[in-house]
This record gives sequence, structure tokens and C-alpha cells, in this order.
Amino acid sequence: MRALYTASTGMMAQEMNVQVISNNVANMRTTGFKRQRVHFEDLLYETQKRAGSPASDQGTIIPVGISIGSGVKTVATPRLMGQGNVTPTEKSYDIAIRGEGLFRILMPDGRTAYTRDGSFELDADGRLVTMEGNLVDPGITVPNNAKSVSISAQGVVSATLPGQVAPQQLGQIQLARFVNKTGLESIGDNLFVETAGSGPALTANPGAEGYGSLQQGYLEEANVNAVTEIASLIAAQRAYEMNAKVISAADQMMNATSQAFRG
Amino acid sequence: MNNTLLIGLSRQVTMRRELDVIANNVANVTTTGFKRRGGTFMEYLMPVASADTMRAGQRKLSYVADDAGILDMSGGAIEQTGNPLDVALRGPALIAISTPAGERYTRDGALVLNAQGTLVTHSGHPVLTDQGPVTFSPSDGDIRIAADGTLSTAQGPRGKLRLVDASNPQVFENAGGNLYRAMRPVGPAPAGTRLESGALERSNVNPTAEISRLIELNRSYGSLAQMLQRTDEMRRSTLSRLAEAA
Repeated sequence: MRALYTASTGMMAQEMNVQVISNNVANMRTTGFKRQRVHFEDLLYETQKRAGSPASDQGTIIPVGISIGSGVKTVATPRLMGQGNVTPTEKSYDIAIRGEGLFRILMPDGRTAYTRDGSFELDADGRLVTMEGNLVDPGITVPNNAKSVSISAQGVVSATLPGQVAPQQLGQIQLARFVNKTGLESIGDNLFVETAGSGPALTANPGAEGYGSLQQGYLEEANVNAVTEIASLIAAQRAYEMNAKVISAADQMMNATSQAFRG
Repeated sequence: MNNTLLIGLSRQVTMRRELDVIANNVANVTTTGFKRRGGTFMEYLMPVASADTMRAGQRKLSYVADDAGILDMSGGAIEQTGNPLDVALRGPALIAISTPAGERYTRDGALVLNAQGTLVTHSGHPVLTDQGPVTFSPSDGDIRIAADGTLSTAQGPRGKLRLVDASNPQVFENAGGNLYRAMRPVGPAPAGTRLESGALERSNVNPTAEISRLIELNRSYGSLAQMLQRTDEMRRSTLSRLAEAA
């Protein structure tokens, strides 16, 4: 009985849907988090009577055939890279990106990771690091006697040093972007890495053509919308129940047959 | 008397198939752009039926056979996603896709760019425009899809999505993966077909209708099974009485 297996693919798909929704909801307050959605496609069809095949010796043909599908599959869980709200934090090393682009982060294993989470800090040596202590690439070191560090919309980091009137430039923050940013792989800790699907990273200064600009003292919130997530959760739960209903109906029908004849 | 069993069986076989169709519709209740299939049945007159005990006019026996699984192309709910590469089609049209097996058509407008910047579906098949597949470079800036299917970037228009006419849905055969295969050549979509960008079309499966059909099917299958059981019992008691008499 195919209906049993078809409905079970539907239940598995909805289970996956709920997993993704719950991860979105869990990360509602995660800085720079980008929500995911699940993309479903139908499975193969079995044609039991092909449309267009002859219906009589007179050459009439069947207008509509019979083809029965075998359920649903999950093909992708793309991340929606839309902009999240930008909220003020009044912290000098909090940076939000308005528009396209990701910060480049140097991982301890030498790889480069990318993030939208601009909540940076200084480490003991005055280097700009993420909350996990990974260096921001290109590296920026703030001298311990620097005052009023400012980061411009174009990514120029400057500070006033004692005994100097003019602010001194300490470095330049760069942004990376990808042809297919949905193809980036998440590795946790708000970080993404490049894949064969995303294409190579393209780097430029913030504010360049096609790149976003920076805003010091602000952070980008997650782009999760609670209302749509809850609506999708309800839809997923109902769809799961309906697939379960199909399974029990198939079971009852088989039972009706097996009970009908007693030898 | 065997005929009663066989006629009942013919209906049960088609009911099981109908259940398979409902199961597939329900499994795809959240599949983007999915179009449900319905089932129709026909009476199959058994030409060689020979129920001698009845009057000539009543001798014909009618069995049940599946006739067709009709593709229902009615529109699904439109959900706003805000993703600029998502498009929802309005009206009877399908988007042309190039696959290794030839040209296919889809109603699923969740489009993405691949690593080379080519506009593809989630399965990676290039989307066709009036100038073939279209590739964007990172310097092109934001991509917009207009209501008539025209793709444009900051550098100007980049072709128009190729939409085909789906006003006769029975030309299309499901190929899986949200794709349809055309069994006859199909023409361009009628003028006035609109696209909505930043939105996706949900499946047109109506869960209430499917579940009601499911319940109805389940009940009539049960009563049919019961009828067959009664027939069987009748035959059994006939045989045992004949055996006693003999």
C-alpha cells in the first residue's frame, strides 16, 4: 500500500520543517542571525495509464492519464539573507552592516569565516576580535592609550592618541560578498564559510558599489519575524497531523480487507 | 455469484489508488507551487457478462475502472517572503526550466543564483529566459523581477522569464521535483499573465477537502469490505446447506 509510505514522507518533511522553524525561533535574539526556510519538492510519479495513448482502434487517444506520486522530499534549507533591524547599543566596538556584505574573521585553523555579527571586543593585545576571540581580518590593533575610537561608514578605524590633535588612522575594515550568498555553509557561532556553491569571496571596502556601509554603536538583530514563524509552525503541525490521518485511514482500509474473510 | 465479489474488488482496487493520490496531495501540502491531482472513475460494462437468471436488459454487469488523474491547475495561496528572487505566478502559466533531460516547466518560483551567478531552481537547473539561461555578475547589483517577468539590474534589463501557457493542464505530466513535462508542444503564456516578486505560491491542496475525501473513502471501503464479507458468508451457508441435503 503506497499511501502509507507517501504519508510517511509527508510526516518526515513536516518534522524537518518544525526543526528549522524551532531553530529560527530559538535564534530570534541572536545578533546577525539569518532565518532559514525549508524547500520541498514532489517525488517521482508512476504513470499507470499514459495520456496520449490510443483509446480505440479508430485512433482516439486518452486525454488524461493516471499518474500517482510517491510523496515529498526536502531539497534545500536556504537561508534568507535579508537585512535585520539595526538597534543602538552605544558600544564603540559594536558594528552593524547596512546592506550587502559580511565581516571577515580569521579562524584559529587559518581559514577565513564570514559573519554578520559585528559585536566585537578588544583582546589583551588591543586587537579587534569577535566574542569567541577570533581576529577580525584585516587585523586592527588599538593602542592602549587611544581615546575615542571611531569607525566610519566606509570602515576606516581611527583614534585620537595622547598629545595629538588630529585622529590617527588605525586600519580599514573590509567586507566580503558572494555571488550566491545562500550557498554559504553555517558553522555555528554566527559564522559562515565559503563553499563550492557560494562562489569565491569578493572583497571591498564598505560603501563601495554593491557593498553595505557600517554603523558604529549599532548591532543587527536576527531577521526572524515571530508572527510568520508561528504561523508556519501551526501550518506544519496541522500538515503533520493530516499525514498521520492518511496513515491511519490506510491502516483501517487494510484492516477492513483482512477482517472481511475468515477462512 | 462470483461477479459480486469481482465487482466489489474492482471498486476496492480503484479506492486504494484514490487513497494513494490523496496521500500524495496531503504529503505535498507545504510544497511550493504544488498542484493537486484528482481522480475520476468510469463504469466499465462487462461485454461478455452472462447472468442467465436475469432478464436480458439486466444482464450487463458494470465494473469500476480508473479513468484519469486530473491535474488541478487552480492557484494556491500567495505567501509574501520578501526575498527578491522569489516569484509567484498568477494565472495559467508555468516557468520554463532547462534540465539535462530537456525542457521542463515549473510553478515553483523559488529561484536562486548558483556559484557562477546563473539563475537556477533549488535543484540547480537553469531558468530559461527569452535569451536562454541568464547569468549575473556580482557587479550587477540588485536583481529585480517585474510583474511581466522582465529581469533587470542596475545595469538595465537582462531578458524576460519564459512563461508557457498552462490553460490546458492535461498536456502536462508530472516529472517529480516540482517539474512538469509537456506531452505536446506548448505555446507562450497568454498576454496579461502576471508575476509577483517577493512572494511564493503555496500548494493548492485544500486540506479540509482532502481529509473529507479520505474519510469518505475510508467509510465506503469499509462498507464494501463488509458487503463482500456478507456475500462470502451467504455462499458459505449455501454450500453447507447443500452439503447437508446431499
